[in-house]
Amino acid sequence: MKITFLSDNLQKKLSFLNHAVSSHGQLPILSNFLLEVKKGKLTISATDLEIGISSSIPVNVDQEGSTTVPAKNFSDLLSNVGNQKVTLFLEGNTLKLTGEKIKASFQTTPPEEFPNLYEERGEGLINIKKSLVKDFITRVVFAAAQDSSRPALSGVLLDKEKNEVLLVATDGYRLSMQKNVFKTKEELAKPLVIPSRLIRELLSINEESDDLSVFVSEKSNQILFSQGETTLVGRLIEGEYPEYQKIIPSDFNTKTEVNREDLLNAIRICTVFARETSNVIKFTIEKDKMIISANSPSVGEDMVEISAKTIGEENEMALNAKYALDLLSSLDKEDLVFEMTGPLNPGVFKIKEDNSFLHLIMPIRVQG
Amino acid sequence: MQEYKDLWSGILTEVELDVSRANFLTLFKRTRLVSLEGDVLTIAAPSTMIIDLLQRRFYDIIKKSADKHTKKNTKLIFVPKTIVDIVVEGKEKHGPLFDDGERTKVAVGHLPRVRADFTFENMAVSATNQLAFVSASTVAKKPGTAYNPLFIYGPVGVGKTHLMQAIANEVYNSNPENKILYTTSEEFTNEVVEAIRTNNTSNMKKKFRNLGLLIIDDIQFIAGKERVQEELFHTFNTLVDSGAQIVLSSDRPPTEMKQVEKRLISRFSGGLTVDIASPDFELRTAILLIKAKKHGVSLSIESAKLIAQKAQDARGLEGYLLKIMTSAQSGDGEITEELIASVLSLGKEEKLNSFHPDELIKNVCYFYKVKPTQLRSAKRDAFLVRPRQVAMFLLKKELGLTFVEIGNLLGGRDHTTIMHGVEKVDNMLKKSLISEDILGIPKLIVGNNVDY
Repeated sequence: MKITFLSDNLQKKLSFLNHAVSSHGQLPILSNFLLEVKKGKLTISATDLEIGISSSIPVNVDQEGSTTVPAKNFSDLLSNVGNQKVTLFLEGNTLKLTGEKIKASFQTTPPEEFPNLYEERGEGLINIKKSLVKDFITRVVFAAAQDSSRPALSGVLLDKEKNEVLLVATDGYRLSMQKNVFKTKEELAKPLVIPSRLIRELLSINEESDDLSVFVSEKSNQILFSQGETTLVGRLIEGEYPEYQKIIPSDFNTKTEVNREDLLNAIRICTVFARETSNVIKFTIEKDKMIISANSPSVGEDMVEISAKTIGEENEMALNAKYALDLLSSLDKEDLVFEMTGPLNPGVFKIKEDNSFLHLIMPIRVQG
Repeated sequence: MQEYKDLWSGILTEVELDVSRANFLTLFKRTRLVSLEGDVLTIAAPSTMIIDLLQRRFYDIIKKSADKHTKKNTKLIFVPKTIVDIVVEGKEKHGPLFDDGERTKVAVGHLPRVRADFTFENMAVSATNQLAFVSASTVAKKPGTAYNPLFIYGPVGVGKTHLMQAIANEVYNSNPENKILYTTSEEFTNEVVEAIRTNNTSNMKKKFRNLGLLIIDDIQFIAGKERVQEELFHTFNTLVDSGAQIVLSSDRPPTEMKQVEKRLISRFSGGLTVDIASPDFELRTAILLIKAKKHGVSLSIESAKLIAQKAQDARGLEGYLLKIMTSAQSGDGEITEELIASVLSLGKEEKLNSFHPDELIKNVCYFYKVKPTQLRSAKRDAFLVRPRQVAMFLLKKELGLTFVEIGNLLGGRDHTTIMHGVEKVDNMLKKSLISEDILGIPKLIVGNNVDY
């Protein structure tokens, strides 16, 4: 194998490729990149056996071939060489790299030990511009559970309502739902639960092409995303997703309009004290203002007032500041609406004049 | 399943010797044997990448060990599947947002006047109430379609209210958005009166005619109230037309209801009419055991039988049970048969709390030698006024009915009339203007020798 390319082309792909490199390193081959040269392309693959990513760049090929190299060394070196012409040449078990003033060589492992990322792509589910759905995905994915003890909740649900696809994620304490993500006819036979990690990786893929295709293989329970020269593959989650429709409140007693930036800053100020009391902050909703407060008996207390337009009852609710911060920093719109029925029922965040999104946060029961 | 588990761990023990520790931990640890059919082993592994490696690099090693353990020439098939060993107890926990228990409690609290603990689950069923129980649970599962209206009748303390509230709870829990109203005919009357008084019937109509489920307890009290009956008639028709469920209860079947318009009675009988008889001995025993459990005391079946012999209806049973619990607490907390016997003999006189209002009125009539119809009539002859006031007084003191309820019982009299009557007899007793014999009226034992 012998190729020549501009290091610039490879550098921007290394960061997301590294996400799939196994961090535990029990199996040495999994901390390697698979390099394959074929038909004018270098394809680099990485997997931790849970997800797999592969991405190609055009290169000048003198000789086709394949090998695996330690991913960390390879990417650390390449991301620091700046933009220059680089040659890779496999000689026996050693991969030699030569740049304008650089020489390096890597010990390699035979490519046969590296697992195949997938056998077949599966059936096409949708072709879409990624930029159209990116914001929608960002609004939802953070709400999924981080631990895998409740498998279904660690995923993002892709469900169909009439002809529109909707996304839901919840960890049991909060729930994000985005409707009207894209239109579908018959393609989505049943709801899919996609690992939230896979969705996050999808967002991190950096490709010039905006065209995203999604493939599902029911046989091997696999979902595959393809954007430009990059392919991301993982497994669908089996298991019942909770009945999210049931918990979405149909009504409210208090509804108030606030500015996202105002609220975000206010909560950040309150976290100073809320940190000490497992992140509890309180929303107090009055006619034309909302007061965000935190109080830690041993450290101190603070309150921030922001302007709000309220209809309905005045009300209050205690909640985890982290959940509110996660939400507010994932939203791309400034005019928000907060609705609630009572201090012990979930609070609902919406985007003003947009019925497609909602976010529920379970309140915290406070003494006294 | 256990068989496969043992077989697979046997196979793996051998594989472990042949592969590196890293490979074993990463690739084999999370595999499971799904099935062994003939000579085909189906093995589940968590991802396609793992399967790829197992197939390409370890097939022979696995097969060798599998052949040895199964004594067959095996074939291996791999499927991508994660098998979770940790089984969360009961229903899978999804976190507080999805916490049914919490929600149900809150939810039931939203239904005014309906007790959350009146459910089908904690109702004792036997031959006397089985038909009613089954009809009620059918109605709760298919409101508006099964039997409409459901008319439940029976004497006091047999569980009519329990059944009706169980319907409300069940319908509410299966769909909290269903508009449900549980009311008594007294409240319904008040609504109608209030609407007429303020000349604003549209609000009331809106309230009653948009429901998905209307439950009216003690419907017999609408007797003699023409305007209320008219309103109920129209509400009834609107609701039935819109497919809403109606459930009614009464102390007698529709056909025996007096002073109720014929067209209304025919509507009442248009669905299913079921009766609940007084609980038989076995059911009373079962009710006692359920109630005892609810109060957190242990009661032996023998003890329950003793009590069940004494009281005839559920309220009487609960009264005895509470008394026994209280006496037990003042002692060493044990409920013994001796204790029950002593409490029961004391309590003989106090069975009155479960007295039916009609029986009390009968007794008053017997005492004064008047007829109940006269007592209920609008006539104000002197020989009727005294018995009537005594009846008011006793209904209030002995049964604790509300003034409005007493008014309804005594021919639709205004509650202020009742208040006056009760106060009058009370004062007369204090000044000894009336014989204390009237206090013994409830204890009179009257057969069916008084005409209605």
